[in-house]
Amino acid sequence: MSLETKRRLRHLRLACLAVPAILALLMLAGSASAQDPSPEPSLIPGPPAPSPIAHPPGGDVDQCFECHVSLDDKQQAISETWQESIHGAGGIGCADCHGGDPGSDQITVAMSEANGFIGIPSRQSTVDVCGSCHSDTERMRSYGLPTDQYDDYWTSVHGQRLLEANDTRVAICIDCHGSHAVKKASDPTADVYPLNVPAMCSRCHSDPTLMEPYGIPTDQYDTYAQSVHGEAMITNQDVRAPSCTSCHGSHSAKPPRSSEVVNVCGKCHTATEELYLESRHSELETAAPKCWTCHGTHDVQQPSEALFFHEEPPDYECTTCHQPPDMTLVLDVEQFDDEADRRCDTCHHPESLIYSQVEAISGALGGATGAQAQAQGKIDEAKSLGMIVHDAEVALTESKTGYIQGQAAVHTTKLTDVTVHTDEATAKAAEAEAMAQAKLDESLFRRTAMIIVIAVILINVVVLYVIMRRMSHPWEEEAEEPPTA
Amino acid sequence: MSQQPTADPGTSGFSRRRLLAALAGFSIISTLTMIVAPILGFLIPPKTSGAAAGGKVLVGTVADIPPGQGKVVPVGSSPTIIVNTDQGLNAFSAICPHLGCIVTWDPGSNVILCPCHDGRFNPTTGAVLSGPPPSGLPAEEVTVEDDQIFVVSS
Amino acid sequence: MTTDNPPTSPGSVDDWFESRLHWRALMDALLHVRVPLEAKTFFFGGMTLFLFGVQVVTGTLLALYYKPTPEAAYDSVLFITSDVSFGWLIRSVHHWSANLMILFLVFHLLRVFFQAAYKYPRELTWVVGIGLLGLTMMFGFTGYLLPWDQRAYWATVVGTEIAGGIPFIGDALLVLLRGGADVTEATLSRFFGIHVLVLPLALGAVVAIHLVFVHQQGLANPTKPDPRPPAVPQGRTKPFFPHYILEEVIAWLFLLAMLVVLSSLFPAGLEEEANPLETPAHVKPEWYFLGVYELLKHIPWKVVGILTPMVFIVLLAVLPFIDRNPEVRPRKRPLAIALGILTIAVLIGLTIWGYYS
Repeated sequence: MSLETKRRLRHLRLACLAVPAILALLMLAGSASAQDPSPEPSLIPGPPAPSPIAHPPGGDVDQCFECHVSLDDKQQAISETWQESIHGAGGIGCADCHGGDPGSDQITVAMSEANGFIGIPSRQSTVDVCGSCHSDTERMRSYGLPTDQYDDYWTSVHGQRLLEANDTRVAICIDCHGSHAVKKASDPTADVYPLNVPAMCSRCHSDPTLMEPYGIPTDQYDTYAQSVHGEAMITNQDVRAPSCTSCHGSHSAKPPRSSEVVNVCGKCHTATEELYLESRHSELETAAPKCWTCHGTHDVQQPSEALFFHEEPPDYECTTCHQPPDMTLVLDVEQFDDEADRRCDTCHHPESLIYSQVEAISGALGGATGAQAQAQGKIDEAKSLGMIVHDAEVALTESKTGYIQGQAAVHTTKLTDVTVHTDEATAKAAEAEAMAQAKLDESLFRRTAMIIVIAVILINVVVLYVIMRRMSHPWEEEAEEPPTA
Repeated sequence: MSQQPTADPGTSGFSRRRLLAALAGFSIISTLTMIVAPILGFLIPPKTSGAAAGGKVLVGTVADIPPGQGKVVPVGSSPTIIVNTDQGLNAFSAICPHLGCIVTWDPGSNVILCPCHDGRFNPTTGAVLSGPPPSGLPAEEVTVEDDQIFVVSS
Repeated sequence: MTTDNPPTSPGSVDDWFESRLHWRALMDALLHVRVPLEAKTFFFGGMTLFLFGVQVVTGTLLALYYKPTPEAAYDSVLFITSDVSFGWLIRSVHHWSANLMILFLVFHLLRVFFQAAYKYPRELTWVVGIGLLGLTMMFGFTGYLLPWDQRAYWATVVGTEIAGGIPFIGDALLVLLRGGADVTEATLSRFFGIHVLVLPLALGAVVAIHLVFVHQQGLANPTKPDPRPPAVPQGRTKPFFPHYILEEVIAWLFLLAMLVVLSSLFPAGLEEEANPLETPAHVKPEWYFLGVYELLKHIPWKVVGILTPMVFIVLLAVLPFIDRNPEVRPRKRPLAIALGILTIAVLIGLTIWGYYS
């Protein structure tokens, strides 16, 4: 009762708002819509790639290593870490990053500025030290490594901040790859190995004190860990699952923009992307929902039919989807931060035409689910009676194929595209149910036949017993008294 | 247990014998019926062809699956996809190892395609080409005799 | 139908056979023996024999549709169970009859043990009976593989591995049983051949010997030892035919009812098809091997674990020659009864442990 009144009131309010909105629309018809409120600031260009550190060539023996490995525990640990690293194995020595003369065993010679010794490179210059070799195609050719990381880095949020504010707290090469302990990305013990990436990024991004100056939330790792993606990667150790870098990029790390998100998700969800691109949503570009509008970002969950409608109709604010004063369509992704609001009826209110379309699509899927659940129930029942239900199970699998395709077809927002698959799924589920029902009938027949057979056997037992009693029992006559009469 | 006739002590020996004989006859006939009926039913060949009982299953003729085409056919209790490529006929389990959808033949790209999540499989080896399937499609043995295609279910 | 009642009305049929085969003498010798009134067999032996008959009939029927190759076995069993009319019944009866056969064989053995019926003059009947137990278990073991589903396959893998642990001959025995290093097509062929050809003939022959022995000795009287030298049984007796047979038939009818109920309510199932590359979570042998299986798991020395049941079987077989006490009443042979009960308790305990572990 009260719900109904609430709804009416809300509609009233909607109508009130609609009048000026339409007026405003008429007035401003034809004017360009201000779609993107914050245009992307242009990137600060990165510096050109520097040339590698020059130093005298070393001999057969790396004197830096020889001396430092026996200095003290700390130096020994550094030396040995380097020795086990990909650089140590590939002959990239101390002097290649620190300068100096690796051929001399005299501290005054080897570590003299005259021989180009620079000591520990500053954080600003570290990117250059790494980039000097790693952007050199000639050097990298023999390792088959790409050389775009240096340029990419300067385009990242990390690199831009370093350029813009000389902020050395941002991530630089060594924060992810290690300094002396650089390992191949394919090495499962490397921090940059796909399965280890989320933990690596979270070393900084989950630290509130580090993130506080930038006003960035720190719950991404926890949210991600509970998402389908995080579960696949962290719990199931599935290297194909997306980590942070799959969506944000690695060297060029930056959150994907609204205009990019479809491509980012579509990298893996190819079939779904294709279907989405057929939809009205896709045509609307910035004003329409993207992947993350319904599925979220770090917290992507297993989609279900619950994504269609709120359990209770929400409070409709015109400004959720329309921007004053001209009431053009807009879509602010923050409106969908709360998982409970990622629903079709967040925008498509019950008075709209599209609402009934959503209802029809939801109904088509729901019908298929219902039919499948019914078939599954019958199959389970028949199974528990010991019946073999392979045929019904195959039919149900076929039905599920149709259903999954129907689910994917929701992304086209076209009812007929969905019902093509859900009708098939419903029909197949009905077929499976009929098959399971036949097994149940068969089981009932067996039980009935069993009761009849048992009855006949019992009659037989009685008959034989009668025959037995009726036969002469000569030996019993010797006993105390005869059994009958 | 004791029925009306048994409780009657005054019956003559002759009718007693006849009663016993009749009872024994009933017993023998009913027991034999119970045992023989299912056995006879078992011996009658069932409607479905014995081919479905495993071994080589006829799935169609070569004309059904021209080169560059593929088709999903039931083999026993499991759907199987037969594809006719340049490398000849191949058969694979048609159940996608990702979520159990039934794969189809994609004539456009000449691959086996799972329509649910765009998993693609190599039509000659069954290996995953792209998409979410965690493993390839298990191969089935396929033979051609004259123009008939048989799948040896495993 | 109502006229042929052989025991009471010797008719022309009887004469016809008599004039050609000296039929009456044969029948007299076979049927017209006397059974001591005190003998309480509980019909266990006869019931086991009946179940063997059921196995022969249902087994022959199943063999009409079954195909003993890894490619076809599973599908043919599925075909029998779901497509052939009454196929489910024949297969389920075969399945349950196999289990009941082992159960009643054990009951029969226990009855003979507690009534001391294995003592003079029946020592050889006991030894032959232990042979029947062995053959029946081999029946169960070989038949279990034939449906070629996951449970069948892996139970056979585990079972043959137990055999492979026997000292000295284990490795050779394993290869011999499996027809190779692994459970494969060769194993299935072997098991099928043994199950449908070797064992039925062997069991039939040994049952015949067992029955001849029983016939020659008559049923034991559990209240007093047989006289030495043998003499015509004293005390009250009843005719084996028709009186004892009639009671036996009633027991068989109850058994038939039991088979029908078990088969209808718990039909033989079929798991996923055998997959040598994927071991299911809980691999266990059939219940009658569970005790041995559990014993093997908990005895640290494999050799001891495997030798224990073997030594047990040998001791069981030669029991009449170890237990030379002529006494038959349970109260007069406390040691034997106590050991018997202890053995049963241990076996049941191990089996239950194996079931729940």
